Amino acid sequence: MRRPLLDLMNLSTDLSTGGEVVHAVNDVSFSIERGETFCLVGESGSGKSITALSVIRLLPHGIASHPQGNILFYSQQESFPESERHGINLLELDENAMQQVRGAHIAMIFQEPMSSLNPVFTIGEQIMEALLLHNPGIDPQEAMDRTLAALEQVQIPHPRSRFNDYPHQLSGGQRQRVMIAMALACEPELLIADEPTTALDVTVQAEILRLMRELQDNTGMSTLFITHDFGVVAQMAQKVGVMQQGRLVETGPVDQVLHHPQHPYTRQLLASVPENLPRRDSQPSLHSGEQPAPPQPDNGGKGATGMVMLEGDTPLIQVRDLRVWFPIRKGLLRRVVDHVKAVDGVDLMLPRGKIIAVVGESGCGKTTLGRAILQLETPTAGSVQMAGTELTGLDHRGLRPWRARMQIAFQDPQSSLNPRLPIHTTLTEPMKVHGISQSQEERLELAGRLLERVQLKRDYLWRYPHEFSGGQRQRIGLARALVLNPEFIVCDEITSALDVSVQAEILQLLQDIRAERDLTLLFITHNMGVVEYLSDRTVVMYQGKIVENGLTAQVCGDPAHAYTRKLLAAVPRLQMTTA
Amino acid sequence: MKTTPLPNRETFSRRLLRKALQGVGVKVGLFWVGLLVVCAVFAPFLANSMPIVMSRDGMVSWPVLHYLNSEDIFVLGAFFVALLLWLLPIRVDFRLGLMVLVAIPAALAVLANLYLKPPQLVIYDSFRTPAYTEADWHLMPPIPWSPRDYLRDYGETGLEAPLASTTGGRTHWMGTEANGADVASRMIHASRIALSIGIIATGIAMLIGILIGGLMGYFSGTVDMLGMRLVEIFESIPTLFLLLTFVAFFGRSLYMMMVIIGLTSWSGYARYIRAEFLKLRRQDYVQAAVASGLPLTSILFRHMLPNGVAPLLVAASFGVASAILAEATLSFLGLGLVDSPSWGEMLNQAVQSATFNWWMAVFPGGAIFMTVFAYNLIGEAFRDAIDPHMARNAGVNT
Repeated sequence: MRRPLLDLMNLSTDLSTGGEVVHAVNDVSFSIERGETFCLVGESGSGKSITALSVIRLLPHGIASHPQGNILFYSQQESFPESERHGINLLELDENAMQQVRGAHIAMIFQEPMSSLNPVFTIGEQIMEALLLHNPGIDPQEAMDRTLAALEQVQIPHPRSRFNDYPHQLSGGQRQRVMIAMALACEPELLIADEPTTALDVTVQAEILRLMRELQDNTGMSTLFITHDFGVVAQMAQKVGVMQQGRLVETGPVDQVLHHPQHPYTRQLLASVPENLPRRDSQPSLHSGEQPAPPQPDNGGKGATGMVMLEGDTPLIQVRDLRVWFPIRKGLLRRVVDHVKAVDGVDLMLPRGKIIAVVGESGCGKTTLGRAILQLETPTAGSVQMAGTELTGLDHRGLRPWRARMQIAFQDPQSSLNPRLPIHTTLTEPMKVHGISQSQEERLELAGRLLERVQLKRDYLWRYPHEFSGGQRQRIGLARALVLNPEFIVCDEITSALDVSVQAEILQLLQDIRAERDLTLLFITHNMGVVEYLSDRTVVMYQGKIVENGLTAQVCGDPAHAYTRKLLAAVPRLQMTTA
Repeated sequence: MKTTPLPNRETFSRRLLRKALQGVGVKVGLFWVGLLVVCAVFAPFLANSMPIVMSRDGMVSWPVLHYLNSEDIFVLGAFFVALLLWLLPIRVDFRLGLMVLVAIPAALAVLANLYLKPPQLVIYDSFRTPAYTEADWHLMPPIPWSPRDYLRDYGETGLEAPLASTTGGRTHWMGTEANGADVASRMIHASRIALSIGIIATGIAMLIGILIGGLMGYFSGTVDMLGMRLVEIFESIPTLFLLLTFVAFFGRSLYMMMVIIGLTSWSGYARYIRAEFLKLRRQDYVQAAVASGLPLTSILFRHMLPNGVAPLLVAASFGVASAILAEATLSFLGLGLVDSPSWGEMLNQAVQSATFNWWMAVFPGGAIFMTVFAYNLIGEAFRDAIDPHMARNAGVNT
């Protein structure tokens, strides 16, 4: 009889905090075969991480309880007691026995590579510690060899010299590789990966995913892979489980779930992926109306300059040779020894009424560029002109009339609203300063109408930010940006922290408002799917410079620059057969 | 300012208050401080040699009211205005409330100074003459002795133990001090000094600290560097020695003490606010406020300060305690106020006497201890309420 490796039967997990009981996981059953990758997908709060933590029993003791269910684990390793090969119930193991299972048989890697490694030990020491703990008889030389082998296995270059490096000396992707090496050092049968690539850039993510697939082929271990990204699911999974509010609503082979979803929630989730969002009617005609610009002559490797000018474009903002350099100071006298060139000689023309996407990986300077255009960051050199007026060098007072015409919306819904002010104050204060309408009643009326425009209720005006969900806060943030009737809004990753269905709603709302008000949007993002769905023009940034810009269809369909091609190739795609 | 129809929702400050007030310690602390406030405000009515109200030959008179000075009027006015603002079901803007709270009592005090002329010299013996004692009826305060009523007419040297009534009719709940004045009465009147020096000195320090620290944090760069050097200069000034010097040169004044303690202790608050503002400046909502072209005062005091002031409240409650200690130290060294009762000065008397008079040490010493302890309890409760890390640790026992 062929048995699975892990068998969850009717697992429920309750979390109780301060008298309140949350049914985080509710009657979940699935099994993982040997050598198989099982993906749990779902939006935030759906209980997918709690399920994983229940399996490895890392939930806090006083808080989590399992009212029902079994987690049967069938090990075939030699070190496992003979009597227990028929499967043990992980929920019934005592803490000591569980510690034997953790690491040796079930290992886990986490989302945040920055905080999962201990900063005061070298990476070699950390991997060796895990090895020595689970193999008490091993001598140090052998442990060292196995550590080096593990590092080699995860394709860390020069493992022998990297052995004595501290975590801060490694990049995010390398840290995640070390985490994987640590998890694999003891040759576990099951690897639990909790959003292992969410915090990484898309090109690094592609490498890590490829590595994980290769390792799985080589070692034959099983993986429980938790993610919210259907593109990653399509690349990694053999079987998929979709979770919604603590329940597993659908399970099945990856092809079936992605292409013939049965449950309405799965269909809704899949339809919300930016690639699958219904395109606006206006957009294709807009694209067909524009003649693609002739390919730009390569001007001596200086980077692409200017935005492609098309007929009918009127420039709203003109950026010339913009530089934002942050000084690095060292020594007693704090002399400037070098600069971090966040934005390094950017030329850009933003045409009126278009959505311009700025894409690039973390640290490429796209956020700094947006902030420098708004004069929230003082440029080191270069010029930013709005409607023919130079904005750099204006002081606080001089900028004020321009502030009303250009606004910004932020990424993090947690910090984008002042927690101490009710929504009505946040919305009406800028109006008052800029002399919009005479009385407070009128301003409240305007603010209420704006809230309704972003699909919120008017009486939300009297609430405080902590009463809203992330998506609602992003809507309020958008309303705040719209309050002064600006012509230009910088949207700094406004959907990155949101679940995919909420993201879809916000993107659609953004398009409607853009069309209504003839807004120009600078949409900063790292998500290529969003770019293709939303934007008219695309600007690709790399290390503070613009490497490619042009019509979105052109940049994404026929990328000219090598970096753009690499970026596009790294995006995990979800090929859809059904809409 | 328009009152807004705010539904009953829990604001951040209310949540903070609710969390801070949950513990037992903070309730003990607040109870003690409340008791001190009552003692300080109603001191003339609680401990006085003269009757509160008396009737003689059919004429009702209020001797205590007659002897109230402008300081008493100010304290009483402030107390009742604060009580009204708190109890009345109208929601007032914070700034307006603060203005009313200062303006009305100040106006009352000025008026009292102009029109009320309390007798400069109070001869306590006269209150024990038949003119007062042979009234139709009279109501004496709970402790019928003034703090400076040295009972010389009784011809005793004082230092009488609590409740050791050698001659009939006189009970001193906490005994008498060296000059024969009632200790309980002096304790009650001294609470006024203890409270006011703590609150006013800390208030001055916080005001300077917030202003300098806020500017340092918001502008950073050169302003920050200069500000930090200023902080370091002021941190190197020893408060106590400065106080001693000033007392030696300019005489003894409570207000001077308040100002000096305030001027030398703002650096800690400035550091706190600077750190908070450096962090807050990067927050998106502050950036959004800048991007909306809001004036600098609004960005600093409306969008940043309320979010950064919480750790300051903690520091302030510890600051009040240390200001009280500084005054007690000075009085203990014999450099405090000359004739006004103060806990430190009473402790000084306790050590100067040849015999050990325990009541002279226990009551003022206990009061100082309890007050400092109470403020520390309050400060600690607020710190725990603010710090989400502590709250999380308390919830999860891993």
